[in-house]
Order: sequence, then C-alpha cells, then structure tokens
Amino acid sequence: MKGWTKTLVLVLAVGLVLTGCKQPTQLINDVQAAIDEVKKAGADKYAVEEFKKLEDAMKAANDEIATQDKKFFKKFGTAKDMLAQVKTEAEALKAALPGKIEAAKTAAIRVQTEAKTAIDEAKAILEKAPKGKGTQKDIDALKADLAGAETAFAEIQTALDAQDYIAAADKAKAVKEMATAVVDQVKAAIEKTKK
Amino acid sequence: MKIPTKKGKVLLLGLTLFSFACKTPPVPSEVDRTEVLEQALWRAGASLYAQEEYALFRTRLTSAKRKLGQEKAKFGWFRNYESIRSEYRDLVDQGAALLAEIENQKASASKSVAGEALSLKTRVDRLKSMTGYFNENSAVRKNLIQADIKLAEVDILLRKEQFETVQTTLANCRLFIEKAEEATAAVLSRYLEEDQLDKWKKWTDETIGESRKKGIVVVIVNKLERKLTVYRKGEALASYDIGLGRYGLSDKLYAGDDATPEGKYQIIRKYPTSIYSKALLINYPNEEDKKAFAAAKKSGLVPGQADIGGAIEIHGGGKDSLTKGCVGLEDRDMDEVYRLTETGTPVTIVGALSVEDSILAEIKKFRKDE
Repeated sequence: MKGWTKTLVLVLAVGLVLTGCKQPTQLINDVQAAIDEVKKAGADKYAVEEFKKLEDAMKAANDEIATQDKKFFKKFGTAKDMLAQVKTEAEALKAALPGKIEAAKTAAIRVQTEAKTAIDEAKAILEKAPKGKGTQKDIDALKADLAGAETAFAEIQTALDAQDYIAAADKAKAVKEMATAVVDQVKAAIEKTKK
Repeated sequence: MKIPTKKGKVLLLGLTLFSFACKTPPVPSEVDRTEVLEQALWRAGASLYAQEEYALFRTRLTSAKRKLGQEKAKFGWFRNYESIRSEYRDLVDQGAALLAEIENQKASASKSVAGEALSLKTRVDRLKSMTGYFNENSAVRKNLIQADIKLAEVDILLRKEQFETVQTTLANCRLFIEKAEEATAAVLSRYLEEDQLDKWKKWTDETIGESRKKGIVVVIVNKLERKLTVYRKGEALASYDIGLGRYGLSDKLYAGDDATPEGKYQIIRKYPTSIYSKALLINYPNEEDKKAFAAAKKSGLVPGQADIGGAIEIHGGGKDSLTKGCVGLEDRDMDEVYRLTETGTPVTIVGALSVEDSILAEIKKFRKDE
C-alpha cells in the first residue's frame, strides 16, 4: 500500500471513531424536553412516584454520558438506550397523566360537594331553629360562623379553577370539618331551648 | 460402572477443589440495602432537606454502581467484590446517617409548625371566649372561623409534611386573626378612651360611696365584664352573670337601637311577675340621657322619627338571652336581686372599669403592635 493510501485509511478510521463518539446532544435535549413537558403538565404533583423514577432514570443516563465523556474511547450506546427508555417512559406518563389529574379533580369535587352539603345542612337547620330571646344570640353567632365558612368555601372553587386539585381537596376537607362543627353547634343550641 | 484409575481420581478431586475455589462470589447484600436507603431518602425529601449531602451520596452511589457493573462484567471466577462491598458499606452508613438527619430536621420543622399553629389556636380560642358574649361580634366570628379553617388546613398539610405550603397557610391564618382583632377593636374603641373609663369609675365610686355612707343597697352593672354586683354598706354582697342587648356594649341613644344605657339610675318599680320571671324597672331616660338624645338628634346621629325609648329593666329569662337593651339574669339570680333591692335602689350601669384582665388589655396590646 502506498503511503498516501495508508494516511487516508488512518484519517477515515479516526474520523469514524470520533464521529461515533459524539454526545447524543439532540437526544438528550429531546428527552429533557419530554420530562419538562410532563412536569409542566403536573406530573410532579399528580404522579409523584412515577415522575421521580423518570428524573432518576434521566440522571442515570446523564451520569453514564458524563462517565463516557471522560474516556478517550467514548461509547454512548448504553446512554442512548437509556435515554430512549426515559423518553418512552416520559411519553407513557404523559399519556397517563390526564387520567390521574381527572381522578384528583373528581376527588376534590367530591369533598367540595360534601363541604357544601354540610354548609347547606347548617343553613337549613339554622332556619328551622326556634328564634326567641333565648336562642337569637346563638343563632346570630352561628350565622356569622357560617358566613365565614362560606367565604372559605369560595377558596375551594378558586383552587379548582386554577386546576390545583390537591390544594382544593385540602381546603374542602377543612371547610367540611368546620361546617360539620357548626351543624353540631346548631343542634346543641336547639337542644338548649328544649330544656 | 468403570472404577476410575488412581490418576483419574486425582484429576476428579483436583477439578472439584478447583471448582469450589473458583466459585462465583455473590453480590454484596449492602448493594440492595443501599438501593432501599436511596428510595427512603427520596421519599423523605432528601433533595429538599439535605440537598448537598444527598447529591454527594448520589454521586458516590453512581460511582459505586459503575464499579459494580464493571465487576459483574468479569468472568465469574475473576470477580472480587471486596472493595465494592466496602464502598457500599460506607454508602449504607452515609445514607442511614443522612436519613436520620432528615427525619430529625422534619421532626423539628413539624414541631415548630405545630407549635406555631398551637399558639395561633390559643389566640383564636382566647379571642373567641373573650368576644363570645359580644352580641356585636359577627365580623369577629366570621374571621375567627376562617382562621380556624386555616388551622384545619395546617393540620392536613402537616400530616403530608408540606412544610413550605404550610407557612403560607399559617400566614393567612394570622391575617384572619388580625382582622378579628381589628373588628374587636372597632367595637371596643370607646372603651379604650381614658376619659370614658374615668367617668365610669367616678360613677361607680360615687354609687358605692353612697351605699357606704347611707348604709344602703346599690347595684353596679359592668357591661364588658357581663356582671351585676349588689353592694350593701359599701361592701360587695353578691355578683351575677348577665346578658345584654344585641348592641349591648353601645350606650343607648334611642328606642330600637338594642343598646344598653350607661348612667346613674334608680329602680322606679318592682314587678313580682313578668314574662321574664321578675323585673326591676329603672328610670331610663334620665336627664343626661335626654340631653344626649337631643344633641344626637340635632346632629343627625339618630333617625329623624326616633324616640328616646324606655322600659329598661333588670329582669329574668336567662343571661344568654338577647335583650332589647335590658339586663337579663338567670331566674334564680333574679329572685335574689329582687329580694335584695327596693324601689329607689341606685343602679349604675357602666361600660367597663379597668383595662387590666379584660379584652381591653388584649386590644391595647394589639394596637400597640400595629
């Protein structure tokens, strides 16, 4: 083989090795974008465990890339497989997320309805309460309590409108607890008049 | 079956020994323990509570995993996990210490939030009990119930270990308490005026002085404390809990304002039977009340057609009653007061006598903090 042919083969071989050892930047960006998208869609709130696994898998892939990057002969094959797997999982989570969010929304609305029922019950029972000198003071006080519970109830809808279903459910639970306490107090106040 | 030769036996024994000596070593148990710990650390919120330490732990774990992978890639007989075992053992120790530290931090955060929530709850309950007898307390109660709802939310968030969100909820709770205090201060602002307190104290001293001087029975009604006290010869004989009108803390100005008058009065008639057990009619309006009514009417503070009103009594029917401006007592207490008093007995009704040991002290403190 002539000298120039040997050089050409060497250059081609080195070029081939170097080309094959480039970081899969595009793939990394694509996968990170898929993770960001699923996070933006609420995965970190409504699919906490699955999202954590996704982030962990991405971290592992990045670690593998970093390890290979330090080597002279870089092999990104494993990293590419890992990234492809993360992307598949991110897409699967994205597909499953609406169902999870819907479930959280349904749960929040259920507690909101329960809170509303408790408030309505308190209102109805207050309307029926015998109004006399002996009870008017209690009734007025409980009406004020109920007004406070109704104001707080409005916050549940605000959270629901903002699609913050976890916070909405927490708020609804708290309002329900308070409204139920008011119902109990109204009943106690009525009992007092019977004595 | 053919019996092996001596040579064959030695070869067989050698092979058996070799295979025992070169058995593939198992992966150290510390590997699984570290994985479990890593999960536990994540669940405990390590990235939030010990960001740097957790990052270091994960970097070391990644390095150990790489070495483990390299070792696993070797032919079974040549694997040696000793250095990896040691590395993972260190990771187990580090992870366990980190987990304990995080749990400590969380327990401390939880304790701190719970302590703050308890302090706010105490503030809410104190305000509730102090304003519970106010009939003008709807703004106070409305805000206090919202503070209570926020505290219930705090409880839920604490159970979920959401210490960041809980701070916002606590701040909102404080806001509602402050609004309730503000509403209380608005109702009681008149009670904080030194001149007003001095006037009430003067009336009380004069009335008790008259009791001492003349050896007679007098009655003092303290609206803020919700107490009626009977004095004889200047000495307190008995004290009773009372109820007032819807706006009982205000000074009565005209008919239908549901306020309880403040001033120096006398019992002008005793009713042994009344719809509210027994009753003692006082001489409201007195000369001072008439002057105040005329001035208020002139300046447009009372409705044009309004009358000054009257028929203010001390009566039975219960201290929890909501009167139209009268002073209500439990029937058994009314029986005693009726027995102790007579027509002409002085009755002095005041708003309050002292700032100390009353809600006024709290309101004064609140205003100072503003």
